[in-house]
Amino acid sequence: MDEENVIIFKDYKTVPDVVHEYSPTLKFEHIPLIIDNGSYQCRVGWSISEEPHLIFKNLIARPRKDRCKKDAEPPVTPPIQIGNDIINIEAVRFQLKTQFDKNVVTHFEVQEQVCDYIFSHLGIDSEGAVNHPIVMTEAFVTPNYSRQLMSELLFEGYGIPAVSYGVDSLFSFYKNDIGDTALLVNCGYHTIHIIPVIKGKVIAEHARRINLGGSEMIFYLHKLLQLKYPVHVNAITMSRAEEILQEHCSVALDYKEEITKWANADYYDANVKKLQLPVIQSSSSSSTLTAEQQKERKKEMAKRLLEINARKREERLAEDEEQLNQLLALHEIMEDGDTDEFDEAIRDLDIKSFEDLQRQISNKQMRIEKNKQRIAAAANAEESVDARPPPGRFQPPTDPDAFQIWLNDTRTKYRELMARREARRARRAAMVRRRTAAAAERMRVISRLAAAGDDFGNHDSDWDAYKSISREADSDSEADGERLVELEEVLREYEPIPAKHRERQLHLAIEPFRVPELMFQPSMLGNLEAGLAETMEYLFKHFTPEEQLLLANNVFITGGSSQFPGLKERLERELLEMRPFKSTHKVVMAKNPSLDAWYGARDFASSNAFENFCITKEDYLEMGGEYLKEHYASNPYFKSPAPIVDTTLVPAGDSNVIKEEVIVDC
Amino acid sequence: MSNELEKYYCFKRENKFIVKSGSKKRMWRSLKQILTADRALPWPNEAVLYYSINAPPTFKPIKKYSDISGLPAPYMDRHSKLYFSNAEEFATVRNLPMDITAGYLQLRGANTIVG
Repeated sequence: MDEENVIIFKDYKTVPDVVHEYSPTLKFEHIPLIIDNGSYQCRVGWSISEEPHLIFKNLIARPRKDRCKKDAEPPVTPPIQIGNDIINIEAVRFQLKTQFDKNVVTHFEVQEQVCDYIFSHLGIDSEGAVNHPIVMTEAFVTPNYSRQLMSELLFEGYGIPAVSYGVDSLFSFYKNDIGDTALLVNCGYHTIHIIPVIKGKVIAEHARRINLGGSEMIFYLHKLLQLKYPVHVNAITMSRAEEILQEHCSVALDYKEEITKWANADYYDANVKKLQLPVIQSSSSSSTLTAEQQKERKKEMAKRLLEINARKREERLAEDEEQLNQLLALHEIMEDGDTDEFDEAIRDLDIKSFEDLQRQISNKQMRIEKNKQRIAAAANAEESVDARPPPGRFQPPTDPDAFQIWLNDTRTKYRELMARREARRARRAAMVRRRTAAAAERMRVISRLAAAGDDFGNHDSDWDAYKSISREADSDSEADGERLVELEEVLREYEPIPAKHRERQLHLAIEPFRVPELMFQPSMLGNLEAGLAETMEYLFKHFTPEEQLLLANNVFITGGSSQFPGLKERLERELLEMRPFKSTHKVVMAKNPSLDAWYGARDFASSNAFENFCITKEDYLEMGGEYLKEHYASNPYFKSPAPIVDTTLVPAGDSNVIKEEVIVDC
Repeated sequence: MSNELEKYYCFKRENKFIVKSGSKKRMWRSLKQILTADRALPWPNEAVLYYSINAPPTFKPIKKYSDISGLPAPYMDRHSKLYFSNAEEFATVRNLPMDITAGYLQLRGANTIVG
């Protein structure tokens, strides 16, 4: 038995973000806000904070509209879930949307929703504007079009005073403070960037981007496992592939050597990783959904129903209270003795007389009282559901021997019940058909019943005859069914891993190395771009030998997908191979590959020079949305040239056309 | 529930890009369209643009790995076009159903007729 080697999926769940406090310091001192808008995660925090306040996946789930129009309720569109609101990402996998196309923001409706999420969760409550300068990261050489829309959104939608854009990998580089010359390798969610920086100057024209990143690796692993285990297609989810990638994958030092080791069966048996998929017993339910999914869905439905009911009750209560107030006001008028006004008023409200009014008032009061009681009862019920203790009847004994006996006992009980149920089912099925023994027996009982004399019913057991001829499920089987479910649950919890579980294991052999190897050999995914090492070699060729040496001695790795164990060693080996004999090289890992970009941007925002690098509202209005103030961590700015006007279409010397153009420009 | 309330944020001037459900949705340009539009412009020579920093195509021979196990694969099954590394794997490859072989080929980007 090698149970100790089996890895269980953790199936991480997110925790919804709280709304943070918006303190007066933040509100009135215009503290800059740092947004690292990455295509995997978005990290947000104030420039005076140690850590980002919000870290969430840059995703939104837009549920489809409720199609049931049965109840008279107005169609309730379920709210859009954003970032950490999405508790179970697999339940909404097909409704997920992101504002990113590769590593560039293109879908600004989604971006706006994400911004709403950010600002509302920071608790910002100023009227009509977000009064904070913003530092926002953007992809390396972002198209101007995308920046223009982003500025438009920030300045016009949120009324921010100023913004500064920077590149995540450059912020991360300066945060780690490793000199001013380096070759940055930024492994992101969709891309790998290799950016040379010499004496603090980004050599953008020689930077290169490999269009492959964490998401492609997740996709590759997901697909590989699904093809390897077609039986478990539904259990192998994207999130689980992501979990495997983050926790069990690593970069091989020498890929070829590594995989040839695996050809040996002994090595395979000794090193294979076994992952246990959750086991579901599908004896009582046989739909395509797994039991856990069904349970979750049911819970959600119940919750929603409760919410709807509570809302209805409250609405009714409010309505009643309003009417009561009206009636009471009338009552007062009457007491004041103003009969004319009273008469007029009761005619409007369809009340016949003063007595009628009094009766209605007491009616209303009773209804309100009842409703209040109901609301209180519902609240109590919710609490009591939460506080229900686990079934005490099936607490297993702690002593191992006793436990074994108890377990066997439970198993026999379960089997007996199962057998009984099966027998009953078979009998009922047989009874329906003619010419079976069961049907004949049934006929015999019926005829005996007909012939029974007056003493039928003297014994209680006589009545069992009806049970035995009934074609419907009887109450006995219902009770049995309940017991069966109980036992099933207990067994599922305490049963040691049986052979059935082993069928639901995923064996990972080469896969944990094969997937990160995509960075070095994109061809495995049919991508014909050069891999990481080859692109680095290509890059070096654009520099003088002295510069090459400087760069090779400071290769800096950052980005979320760079956290594979072994990547540093692999790059060192590749550098040894591509660099001239006896030359030196060094690889430096970022201290925190995923968060250093945010820390770097925060330091930038708290520096004295920050204000000089801000694009203000005036700049925006004057220079247009694509405008960018360059700084040490920014993209280079090239103003978009005016489109080429096809002169053949504009006859020269036609003054009217030129005039028209001027008007259009305004 | 609080859908209407949630839509309103006090810090916001207006909904810039969010449209009401039901009204016409704005079509967003994909990155590819943005890049095509960028290409059409007369950029100065020194400008570095998104499409100009793509990694070069690989010049190294593409290594072949067994589709099913990932081992180095010197052979290809002529029938399914899958790579395999030894006789044992060959037997497996031959028994794979169509959808699985198609899946492997697609994953490797080898399912297109051209190239």
